[in-house]
Amino acid sequence: MLDKLKADFDEIIALVNKAPASLQETAFKMILEQWFNANASPKPVPPTSTASPAAVPPTGPSGVLDAVKPFLTANAITTEVLEKVFHPTGPGAQLLASSIPGTGKATKLVSLSLLLCVRQALESGAFTCTLKELRELAVHYDCYDSANFAATLKTNKNYYKPRAKGADLELSGPGSRRAGELIKSIAAGE
Amino acid sequence: MDVAQALEDLLEELAAIQKAVGKLKTASVSGQELRKRIKDAHKDWLPVAGLLETGTSVDASALQDVSSAWTAMAKLANSPSPKKQYKALLKTIISKTEGEVLHKFIKASAIQTIGDSLRRLVQPISDSELLAYLDESIRCAETNCVRASVVLAWCAVAHRVHKKLASLGITTLNAEFARMKADNGLLFRAFKKDYVFSTETDIQEAADAHLILLCRFLTYLDDTQYKHLKAALDLRNGCGHPTGYVPDPVKLQAYYADVAQLVLLNAKFV
Repeated sequence: MLDKLKADFDEIIALVNKAPASLQETAFKMILEQWFNANASPKPVPPTSTASPAAVPPTGPSGVLDAVKPFLTANAITTEVLEKVFHPTGPGAQLLASSIPGTGKATKLVSLSLLLCVRQALESGAFTCTLKELRELAVHYDCYDSANFAATLKTNKNYYKPRAKGADLELSGPGSRRAGELIKSIAAGE
Repeated sequence: MDVAQALEDLLEELAAIQKAVGKLKTASVSGQELRKRIKDAHKDWLPVAGLLETGTSVDASALQDVSSAWTAMAKLANSPSPKKQYKALLKTIISKTEGEVLHKFIKASAIQTIGDSLRRLVQPISDSELLAYLDESIRCAETNCVRASVVLAWCAVAHRVHKKLASLGITTLNAEFARMKADNGLLFRAFKKDYVFSTETDIQEAADAHLILLCRFLTYLDDTQYKHLKAALDLRNGCGHPTGYVPDPVKLQAYYADVAQLVLLNAKFV
């Protein structure tokens, strides 16, 4: 693998140099991470006992589902950053944040909904979140304002794909971007 | 009917009514339109109350308090009545519906589905002894005994850790404890206890905190994994002793995800 890295390194550097100077470090980390994901030999699978034969969504060596990788790449989120917010970063993912970013209950609720969509994506590949789950976690994180729950989601509807009343939330493009920003800010301890 | 959604809608409507009543310049609520709105809201409340009465998720006396306040307000709306009385009733209904009905309902609904979520997390486990603890733990969770559930799930973790450490052999285990005591690394320098085991069952007498520290020392866990397992043990200790802390179903699920990943399904503990 080291020989292949040596061979590819110049190309990687050339690619990094095409990025603006301020983004070169991030670009280098991401490209290198992707390179290792693509070239590292897969980890031996531990002998699980009676695991059900149910289909497991494909994951890379980092344990992150393939369906989530475009989101990570588009938002410049490294596995290291992701691991500061979710643990583990595959099936069974849990939100690590002890508090949710935001100044009021409404902002926190929206942030929470976006993070839950990402959590679900880590679990199953789909960037969705049920309202039931959102309510439960909003109560847990003390950002549940029942009288304004629907209104808050409606005000921020650009973060979600169009849906009927009471239907699950699914991230839209702007929602994905905002979720990416939130993950980076939580990981940075902001 | 989605009860949570219906209660949210009602609270939204009540907040709007409260605002409208507050805006009135008269001393009484006499307008037909506002009174009809109050009666309509009451009509919307009745089927929700009916559903809640048939379940056990909400305390019956809290539900009775809210229902009585609704009845009194609907009665007020039959004729022009003082604004002051509306304000008091609206305040009671809103605060009790939110705190004692809706929040309780949401937590209870999380309890209703927690069993499935927890079973999914531990599904790949086949060890019958572990499954006995976990099954009991999950059944506790399903009956809203969250603290008991945490403690019993930890029994499965402790069982697995004991078994793994016992597999080293007593002589090796004693030697490793001595080696950890002599280690001056950041994590281990505070460990000063002498452990000398004679039989495998002696391991059960050792503090779980020391056993998992040894697992870190033996590199079954890395620093981050150890940190999370220690947090899980802290939660277990908080639940196993008389404290005022009662974890909610969200916390329980996170705890299960951690112990499953860190120990129960961790190949290093096989």
